[in-house]
Amino acid sequence: MQALLDQMIQEGAFAGVPKEVVYTIAMVLTAVVVLSAFVAPLAGVTSWLERRVWARMQSRVGPNRVGPQGILQWLADGIKNIMKEDIIPTAADQKLFPLAPYVVFMGFLCAFVVIPFGESLIVADLNIGILYLLSVTSLVVVGILMAGWASNNKWSLLGGMRSAAQIVSYEIPAGLSVLTVVFLAGTLSMQGIIKAQGWRPWDWFMFHNPFTFCAFFLFFTAALAEGNRTPFDIPEAESELVAGYVTEYSGMRFLFFFFAEWGNLYVIGAVVTTLFMGGWQVPPVTDNPVLLGILQFLTFFLKAYFWVFVAMWIRATLPRVRVDQLMGLCWKYMVPLSFICLLGTIGFMFMDTNSRRIFGAITLGFAIATIINFFRRVGFQFRSAKPEAYWKPHI
Amino acid sequence: MTDYAADTGFYAEEMTINVGPQHPSTHGVLRFVVKTDGEMINEAIPDVGYLHRSIEKIGEKVTYHGYVPYTDRADYLAAMFANQAFCMAAEKLGNTEVSRRGEFCRVIACELNRLASHLISVGTFGQDIGAMTPFVHALRERESINNLMEEICGARLTYNYIRIGGVGYDIVPSTMTKIAEFLDHFEPIVEEFNRLLSGNKIFIERLANVAVVSKEDALSYNLVGPNLRGSGIKWDIRRDIPYSVYPELDFEVPVGTAEVGSLGDSFDRFWVRIREMQESVKILRQAMTMIPKGPAISKVPRKFRPPVGEYYARVEAPRGDMGFYVVSDGSEYPYRVRIRTGSYTAMSIIDKLSKGIMVADLIALIGSLDVDAPEIDR
Amino acid sequence: MGVVTNYIKDIQAAITSTYEGMSITFSHLMRRPMTIQYPDKIPVPIQETLPLRYRGILEVDLDICTGCLACERDCPITCITIGIDMNKETKQRYFTHFDIDVCKCMYCGLCSEACPTGAIRHSSEFEGASYNPAGLVRHFAPEPSNLYKPKKGGETEDKLIAKVDIGLKYLDEFATPDGGGAAEEKE
Repeated sequence: MQALLDQMIQEGAFAGVPKEVVYTIAMVLTAVVVLSAFVAPLAGVTSWLERRVWARMQSRVGPNRVGPQGILQWLADGIKNIMKEDIIPTAADQKLFPLAPYVVFMGFLCAFVVIPFGESLIVADLNIGILYLLSVTSLVVVGILMAGWASNNKWSLLGGMRSAAQIVSYEIPAGLSVLTVVFLAGTLSMQGIIKAQGWRPWDWFMFHNPFTFCAFFLFFTAALAEGNRTPFDIPEAESELVAGYVTEYSGMRFLFFFFAEWGNLYVIGAVVTTLFMGGWQVPPVTDNPVLLGILQFLTFFLKAYFWVFVAMWIRATLPRVRVDQLMGLCWKYMVPLSFICLLGTIGFMFMDTNSRRIFGAITLGFAIATIINFFRRVGFQFRSAKPEAYWKPHI
Repeated sequence: MTDYAADTGFYAEEMTINVGPQHPSTHGVLRFVVKTDGEMINEAIPDVGYLHRSIEKIGEKVTYHGYVPYTDRADYLAAMFANQAFCMAAEKLGNTEVSRRGEFCRVIACELNRLASHLISVGTFGQDIGAMTPFVHALRERESINNLMEEICGARLTYNYIRIGGVGYDIVPSTMTKIAEFLDHFEPIVEEFNRLLSGNKIFIERLANVAVVSKEDALSYNLVGPNLRGSGIKWDIRRDIPYSVYPELDFEVPVGTAEVGSLGDSFDRFWVRIREMQESVKILRQAMTMIPKGPAISKVPRKFRPPVGEYYARVEAPRGDMGFYVVSDGSEYPYRVRIRTGSYTAMSIIDKLSKGIMVADLIALIGSLDVDAPEIDR
Repeated sequence: MGVVTNYIKDIQAAITSTYEGMSITFSHLMRRPMTIQYPDKIPVPIQETLPLRYRGILEVDLDICTGCLACERDCPITCITIGIDMNKETKQRYFTHFDIDVCKCMYCGLCSEACPTGAIRHSSEFEGASYNPAGLVRHFAPEPSNLYKPKKGGETEDKLIAKVDIGLKYLDEFATPDGGGAAEEKE
């Protein structure tokens, strides 16, 4: 890539332009093309998968007509939305209203810059990686607030206000939970955090000690709240606020909001994987860098996608909290608990490795016991309702 | 307070929001003019009449037999009860005996319909709170009931099953077996529904202590049905003004018990409905064993001309006391038909309850009262 | 003390109820969806799976219609209009028209119950989409046709025997209030 650019500069393709500017533009363009090519299908397929998973949990089938098993549904929806009329209400703010979806979209796309898909598969390994990520994802709130205000619709305004309050509050437990990991890793860099963990589950920060285990769940919950996911989807609560801040949007702009929402879901999964689940760490099975890269990417992708699945699953299960309960949950429960987790983790950092490992093992054992118990419970639920078993994922 | 506005230049105004008639969770076409201070509601004034079809007036233009399918439309989620209430009034006017098997068929059909109506109620209530899955599960079970109804009387929603003198079609043994199978399948589903939704901490927190109706308020605002029983008043037409064969059946009347919050809150009303479904299953089981043989309908003249008189018949519909007041002038057509429904009176208390609650709670309140637009406007 | 206990109880209740709910939704991944993929991905046409008493769009078998007008009188919504005229020479009465406005029909079933021969009955057909309301008026007598006169001692014409049987069977199983039940209990 760089060689090609150098050659083009030598041949005088960009005469009169400083070399650095050409490099910067080329880098940005490459990143945009690669990310768009990755992010757009990712968000699309996530939307399809969410609808399928959700449908099966509700005894329905879900979209299964466009393409094999409906996997191309997102393309059909996208084309339909692009072809729709783009309505800007006369009473809306003519400048802010069209701009808002792009601000939201930018906020989530920028997060992909620091997501480490593999040891070398990262756009930029910033040394303040996780800090950067927390700040750019907060940019989404600006867009949502813009959308809510500019729509000049009372429902949109309520939605925007709720969203602002929600995202600002949940930054605190999220930041505190991140801090536990940062303390353990001693770095803010995403790659550095992953390298501080190992590929074995007991090397993950999640099972470092009981407090990080709690911090993990606190972070995941806070991340769901920041991503406006159920049970914290109050900004667009469709049974209360019609559609919240997207009420007045249509066509492509409407699509961008949901694009951002589903893309954001993957960002949540990726961050959780990076911070607590060992990221792309794989067992040392091969020396081939290409094969290793693919293996790392797959590991990371699947780990992250598991949490995307969990977010879908939670959405299918839980009702929505009320706006004051949302604040109460944040300030009364999550902030104190994440402080406790932070302090507890600091305590564990002074403990010698062997004693610490005992606690880590207990945590891991507890997690495994929970999973086993969970599946036994699933079996009980299955038997108690006496349904007809149907194992095939497709229909 | 006024100083703040003068000092800062920011004027805090009351915001008037229009909820409905095309709002996702107004259960039909209801409209509320809501005055809010941010998220807090100062006033919510119901505006009814968007679904008015003048069913009462139509009653003066069609025969007694021909009016029965119209009563279906008074509350299409619980059509069977309107059928029964009207037929009871007409039978009383015409001194018509109802065949005994017909009475049992009525009870079976009505209780199945009550299950269907309550399933819609608790399901959409879950959806109002934001839980999508219980809603679809409830609708799935209702679909089975609709299939059973299709077998019993050929229609899924507007049944026209109960006729003057009995029922239109007998329930055949094969359908009885299917109903029994459905009940066996349904009971664990209610338990599962409770584990999934009713026991959920978020759900309970959303409903406990929200929109509390005291016993006095419930009586003075004339709440009926589960809304009244949610406030702890044991009043059920089936038990207190017995009709049909309900006195022979053994069932409980569930009342609100302040399960999670205070007596008469939204959760109590929800919980009463869940327990009524379980009671309905009990009633259905009994009725299916007790049903005698015989004709499903007694002999009724084709030209039904009741003597001059008037009668008010009331039944315990899923949304409470449903009454048909029929005046006969001795001709083939009723002189006047008046319908009294539970949702209409429930609308009047919304204004009182909505003061000082949040926008999200208003939606929960509408859902917990289980108001149904067709029944309000008729 | 009570405050702290309540605080911990709240957290515990939130976690356990979410856990329980998630186990239920997960178990649904292994259950068969209830969706009927109407209209194409189903083994048999949906009309064939409907129960006997299903009240679909009305159909009339004019060959066995006696022209008694019971259905027209009983229809609460006057969606049935029948015209009968008499041929002055042969004294044969015939239908000038027999129209059912499917737009108006509310599928109450009162007409089919009133019919003495089972000529008017509900089919299991329910797909009645049309581009204009006029297309929904079903003309059962496009050209004048004679009324059916039941013969004493049963039908003799082969073509009509089958039709009369269908009509009577329909009356027996569907329209008479205790027909189906009584028939099954006799066996």
